Amino acid sequence: MTAGVSEPATVAEGVWTDVVGQVAAVRTLDRAVRAASVPGPGPGGMTHAWLITGPPGSGRSTAARSFAAALQCARQGCGECHECRTALTGAHPDVTLLATEHVFLRVEDVRPLVSVAQQRPSLGRWRVIVIEDADRLNDTSGNLLLKAVEEPPPRTVWVLCAPSPDDVLVTIRSRCRHVGLRIPPAADVSALLQRRHGVDPAIAAFAARAAGSHVGMARRLAVDENARIRRREVLRLPERLTSVGNAVLAAADLMKVATEEAKSATTERDAAERADLLRSLGAEGATSLPPAVRAQVRQLEENQKRRATRAQRDVLDRSLIDVLSLFRDVLVVQFGAEVELVNAELGEDVERLARASAPEDTVRRMDAIGRARRRIAANVAPLLAVEALMVELRFVRAR
Amino acid sequence: MKLRVERDVLAEAVTWAARALPTRPPVPVLAGLLLDASTDGVLRLSSFDYEVSARVEVAADILDGGTVLVSGKLLADICRSLPGKPVDVSTDGSRVSLTCGASRFTLLTMPVDEYPTLPAMPDGSGTVPGDLFSQAVSQVTVAASRDETLPILTGVRMEIEGENLTLLATDRYRLAMRTLTWRPSSPDVSTVALVRARTLSEVSKALGAGSDVTLALSTAGGGNELIGFEAGGRRTTSLLVDGEYPKVRALFPPESPTYAVVEAQSLVEAVRRVALVAERHTPVRLTFTDGVITLEAGQGEDAQASEAVEASLVGDELSMAFNPQFLLDGLGALTVPFARLSFTVPAKPAVISGQVEAEGDDDTSYRYLLMPVRLNS
Repeated sequence: MTAGVSEPATVAEGVWTDVVGQVAAVRTLDRAVRAASVPGPGPGGMTHAWLITGPPGSGRSTAARSFAAALQCARQGCGECHECRTALTGAHPDVTLLATEHVFLRVEDVRPLVSVAQQRPSLGRWRVIVIEDADRLNDTSGNLLLKAVEEPPPRTVWVLCAPSPDDVLVTIRSRCRHVGLRIPPAADVSALLQRRHGVDPAIAAFAARAAGSHVGMARRLAVDENARIRRREVLRLPERLTSVGNAVLAAADLMKVATEEAKSATTERDAAERADLLRSLGAEGATSLPPAVRAQVRQLEENQKRRATRAQRDVLDRSLIDVLSLFRDVLVVQFGAEVELVNAELGEDVERLARASAPEDTVRRMDAIGRARRRIAANVAPLLAVEALMVELRFVRAR
Repeated sequence: MKLRVERDVLAEAVTWAARALPTRPPVPVLAGLLLDASTDGVLRLSSFDYEVSARVEVAADILDGGTVLVSGKLLADICRSLPGKPVDVSTDGSRVSLTCGASRFTLLTMPVDEYPTLPAMPDGSGTVPGDLFSQAVSQVTVAASRDETLPILTGVRMEIEGENLTLLATDRYRLAMRTLTWRPSSPDVSTVALVRARTLSEVSKALGAGSDVTLALSTAGGGNELIGFEAGGRRTTSLLVDGEYPKVRALFPPESPTYAVVEAQSLVEAVRRVALVAERHTPVRLTFTDGVITLEAGQGEDAQASEAVEASLVGDELSMAFNPQFLLDGLGALTVPFARLSFTVPAKPAVISGQVEAEGDDDTSYRYLLMPVRLNS
């Protein structure tokens, strides 16, 4: 939790605008882009393989796409030209994006990249290959890429993204230059929300703080009032945990909230994507789908479904982090530490919970949350994991 | 847009342009085929998958010019099965209608403004007769690698030095090299390009053998980004494969003291028969003595076969083993009746070249280098 480390919000320019609060990383990448724009080897550190790491929500893939766009742009990333825009969405002919909703990147997914990497860029600048989930490369698919990542042709650049360098095969890691992203300062995230979405400063500050600077989460909290309501519901749960029965009911409620949240997060995007695809295929407004189009639409729907499954799990994890932030505040109050609360608006609840238990109980509960998150990540049925957690979080009245 | 075009002309053009359509398009519009009718009576059809582009021009009676983008696969299916009557194509709002005799089709159109601009044909160029070109391409592509994890070897290297055009391909087990003369637009041109063997082979077949093929390589900016092929109103461009091609020319031995000459067709048939008992990855053994080549396959308790083929030998007798398929590929690529197999020592590769007559010199315009399989005795 980094709550409110105040630092002046820095506004990067062009394609870098959306890479929030990553001054050092942006400087490194931007320097490389400028070095790359002059022919021949020179100082500035452009190289053929990059590994961008950072915690979830720090904008790894945004940074990777921005880097790709800046390399394609004649003005080193103006953010406005055709090259920049198509590179950011992945439609640029010389930018290949690979992401997966599966647990692993399989050999079949990766193999085509090897021959793509060997092609000359069609517009003559760079051929950029972005792997957004390099942590999902397994031994086989990773080894397949070794040679290609180690010695690509002169105009090919690999950009790999992963949560931390340790998540990537050591043989791949050692072939890349590493750029680390930090958790962006809440002030920067809040400034982005105000600038891009015209969010009221107070709400923006709250959203950035509550989301722990996770940019995507903060955006949802800021623009969607229902998301804020659902978050409050989740944070009210610990209050109710007085008996095993209540704990099981609370677990069911948490699951319900998570499902709703995941649905509302994806439905809108799904519909927009579908409309976009139909327009490109020339089937806009068709009441029934022509057969030629159906296969592509089905493909999109399958991807969306997989994404929804993953989204539900991500949202549940997010909810658990919210609960964790509540107990973090409880511990802060119990120790009388003079730092800002993440959930300042729930001050009374925090006070009450702090009085009702001892610091060691709070630490035990925080451990329990960590355990539940690990279990869910390891594919334990989410409802069971959450029920077990709620039973552990229960407040036993002091006799 | 409103035009009329002959059914056969349209069907052939659409089928040809649709070959380059991607099966899994990176962006949806690339699944489309672009129909561009200009007022000068030319209908252009094009397709593009970011790597290979194809464009074909046909004559049509054009009443109204215009540009539409329609699903390429669907259009190809429709054109193939139309009856043999003139086809009327016209746009109607966001739809295109195709009328041919009594059949009528209405197709959805895709947004033309999202379709990428096709790469322009590079300028540096020259011509080569179509039949010669497609023969040369088929001779070398047999040796190109199909292993996608070795992208460089899936390509054919084209070396241009003035009037000489050399094609090279290897998959590490064999190496094929063909030289031919072509007519460059400037006599002192010198360049190299690496083109995917699959693309090259499709292009050479698709452009047809009848007319001259124009080859074009972009030379701007130092690197060659594109290669273009054009013949009879059909034009294809392809991205080049990048990277350092291994220096393979030096692998051909400067001289071969030992060589055998044999009638190519009878050796091909003999190898095919004997290879029937060779299990996967086992070789056929060839023993060269004066007057005869003895072929054997299979050993120990497995099925065995042997056959003798008449041949003449110059130099010492020797025995070597080869992968039968690789041997057949090399022999099959010859265009003359006799094959010359040249050797240095049994552990070193053999070279296959063609020879017009049993006596005489061999034709070095095509050479096929083949690694022997080590015999464990």
